[in-house]
Amino acid sequence: MKPKVAFFDFSSCEGCQLQIANLEEEILDLIEIVDVVSFREVMKEHSDEYDIAVVEGSIMRPMDEHRLRKIRSRCKTLVALGACATIGGVNKIRNQWPVEEVKKEVYNDADLKDNKFFNVSQTKAVNEVVPVDYYIHGCPINRDEFKRVITSLALGKEPVIPNYPVCVECKKNENVCLFELGKFCLGPITRAGCGAICPSNGGACDGCRGILSKPDVECVMDLLKRYDLTYEEMKSRCVLYNTGVFNPKDGMTFVRRRKNE
Amino acid sequence: MTKSKSVKIITKKNLKDFVKNLIKDKKYEVVGVKEKGIKFAYGPLENANELRLDYDVTLLPPKKYFLPQIEKLIEYNLEKKFEYKREEKVKSRILIGVHPYDIIALEQTDKLYLDSQEDDYYKKKRENTIIIGSDIEKVNERSFAASMNTHVTDSGFDLLLTNIGGDYAITIGSKKGEKLLIKYAKTKPAKELDIKKIKEKRKKIKLEYTKKLKVPKEDWSKVLVANYDHPLWENRSQKCMECSSCTMVCPTCFCYDVIDDVSLDLKDGNRVRTWDGCLIRDFTKVASGEVFRDDISKRFRHRFYRKGNYLPERYGFVACVGCGRCGIACLPDIADPCDVMNYLSHFEKSDDTDRFFLKQKTDVKEKGTIHIPQSATIKRTEQYTKSEMLFEIELDDKKPLGHIPGQFVEVSIFGVGEAPISVSSGPSNKSTFEIVVRKVGNVTNRLFKMKAGDKLGIRGPFGKGFDVKSFEKKHLLLSAGGIGIVPMRSLIQYVVDEKNRKKYKDITILYGAKQPSEVLFSEEIKEWCKVDNVKCELTVDTCADKDCWTGCTGLITTLYPKIKLDRYDSINTVAVVIGPPIMYRYVIKCLETLGIPHKNIYVSLERRMKCGVGKCGHCQINGVYVCKEGPVFNYDDIKDLPEAFE
Repeated sequence: MKPKVAFFDFSSCEGCQLQIANLEEEILDLIEIVDVVSFREVMKEHSDEYDIAVVEGSIMRPMDEHRLRKIRSRCKTLVALGACATIGGVNKIRNQWPVEEVKKEVYNDADLKDNKFFNVSQTKAVNEVVPVDYYIHGCPINRDEFKRVITSLALGKEPVIPNYPVCVECKKNENVCLFELGKFCLGPITRAGCGAICPSNGGACDGCRGILSKPDVECVMDLLKRYDLTYEEMKSRCVLYNTGVFNPKDGMTFVRRRKNE
Repeated sequence: MTKSKSVKIITKKNLKDFVKNLIKDKKYEVVGVKEKGIKFAYGPLENANELRLDYDVTLLPPKKYFLPQIEKLIEYNLEKKFEYKREEKVKSRILIGVHPYDIIALEQTDKLYLDSQEDDYYKKKRENTIIIGSDIEKVNERSFAASMNTHVTDSGFDLLLTNIGGDYAITIGSKKGEKLLIKYAKTKPAKELDIKKIKEKRKKIKLEYTKKLKVPKEDWSKVLVANYDHPLWENRSQKCMECSSCTMVCPTCFCYDVIDDVSLDLKDGNRVRTWDGCLIRDFTKVASGEVFRDDISKRFRHRFYRKGNYLPERYGFVACVGCGRCGIACLPDIADPCDVMNYLSHFEKSDDTDRFFLKQKTDVKEKGTIHIPQSATIKRTEQYTKSEMLFEIELDDKKPLGHIPGQFVEVSIFGVGEAPISVSSGPSNKSTFEIVVRKVGNVTNRLFKMKAGDKLGIRGPFGKGFDVKSFEKKHLLLSAGGIGIVPMRSLIQYVVDEKNRKKYKDITILYGAKQPSEVLFSEEIKEWCKVDNVKCELTVDTCADKDCWTGCTGLITTLYPKIKLDRYDSINTVAVVIGPPIMYRYVIKCLETLGIPHKNIYVSLERRMKCGVGKCGHCQINGVYVCKEGPVFNYDDIKDLPEAFE
């Protein structure tokens, strides 16, 4: 029996599901090993019976939490897909301000009081609402990694998600370190698995796969000084995907990952 | 000094033509040092003008051509039973511009990958590569090669270029190199003056090194041994970002991982080898989740000791060539060996450089290709508990495994991976052997779904088992905790076998499990007890339902007070301990109380044994390779090894 897979989206651009749709002819291989029962972006059919739920997007509203809990209760395995789902991603940028302030900024004086669709709370990653079994990180996800996770699940093995930083892959790609080019890159503390795609193409890492270790403040300050970088440069990098980890209001909240954490 | 080598002279223009001819011939892939942004890197040369012999250092060392970042070992078809193929053809390649320190690093790699236990993937690439070295023309400010005496070399190359101002001198290092010159280059013989120029050039380049080492490389080992507990490791590593860049760019870091990658349709897959680094936290992680070098300061320290003590004391070379790459790559700038050694130069030295090794360093060589598993068939399975199952396995060549008690095999399942599993049956002439696995990782999870008739791969047996001969005429006190009974069973089956029983005196087996439902081999234990003078004591940590368990409850340590040995017996008793890491310290205390000398105690240690042949680096406890020199150790030999029982 092929496992039944359903895809769901919450607050996101749905670009990670698009990455899967972009597998193109390989989709045929995918449906040979799994039964896709729900995938709004590519098919009309829908079923509430599924073994694996693949969830894209951040959780922003009480009604979303309710829907997510329902999905969790129906599936055996829940996979968080993409940065919005795995770490909250760009949707968490707004967590820097109170919800009311954000609403005011966006909708100004519009009367939203009784409209449940606008009843928003602080942004949450999927695992802040329900337990997550597996993570496919990235913004967008890496298609190869998606394939690896799906084949692992189909073979009944634990998918291997790198637990080391992007530098490992960046060095293997033999890139010139972006710090030496005067850029602040989050590669040294961001989870690998992307094949260091951004640094390999000249762009500094934004940390979309989540922060792995958090070096101490002194170390980061040292680094900024050595490479003649500004605090602002670092801040903009950190806030984009990792507002929860780096809070620009409090300044540096970096602390070293503790033993066995 | 070795015999002086023949030297030719080539003009700049003719050198360019030489490279041009090599490229044009298409017989070789011609690789040289090229510009890469603001740096340099080895890459295929499309034309001779791309070659930059005036480079300081390349981003990555040439190791990428011998142990590539990603290397396909075998390709398999998951629809067939146990079929694989490997790429036999290896590209003929010429590397141009290799600096002496990188040549020396390759010679060091040879010691591990050719001399110690031949890795034929590496060997083929090495044999099919011609190395045209180049004397250094520009020194990188982070390099300290002159202090390591690796700024020059007189071996390890086929040809070596030296810019002697205007023309180039070519030192011929091999017949292969000489033939290449004859066929592709226009040269003239060198005059005495030219030879002098080469020497002058080398002297001059030495003077250009501003970064200097205060501890001669011969003393690194002594300095490191004396400063194992120095606060430097903790202090420096506080700044470590744990990015492992230092190991990735290092020409003498050659540890690797092996992973299985399967196509999306699950029809076929590849087993690939990729670079791994000891600064990465998961480097020492085993299936049960235990990380044996969890603390960053220990991982940070391990890298320096591997370079300055572990490899030097085993193979005779300091595994650092002073290229400076790690110093450049390390963002917090804590990885530079020159800085670290200079800092330590103020502190004491110790002559006890073998402190982190066994008394005898062994180098067991396995036969055959080290990465290729033998095809085998599961003959019988028997589920013991919810998470433990026995597999009787037969190699498809029907030959006995030929193991000794305490050894392990790598169980290999295509599409999933490999896992080190202890052999659980005693040695015998039977064509089958048994393993008992606990369901904890990918391989064991998959094994649980397999049945009689299914195929799998076996590599091994590996490691050092129990020296059963030395146990003769002794009492045996065998202590097993939890899954430790599995390898212990191999020893027990051997010693209770009627052929061997008389060789040993009284046998006492102490076995502790978490709860009654986790007790393994209970039927077999009853059989063992029927053998003359064999006694078994079982205990469980906790028992929820008292009715189901009539034995003792409590930790295994509660069993020892029951044993009475007089002085004569304690020195004539051999004790064997196998169990989870936490158990050793407590059980060994009990054995000490019984008066059993340390040299009579044997333990079997768990680590991440990945390759089984002392190459991949994962199982190292300081200088000791658990996969080759263990997993069975004499306690006296390793009790002082810092990482062994931490």
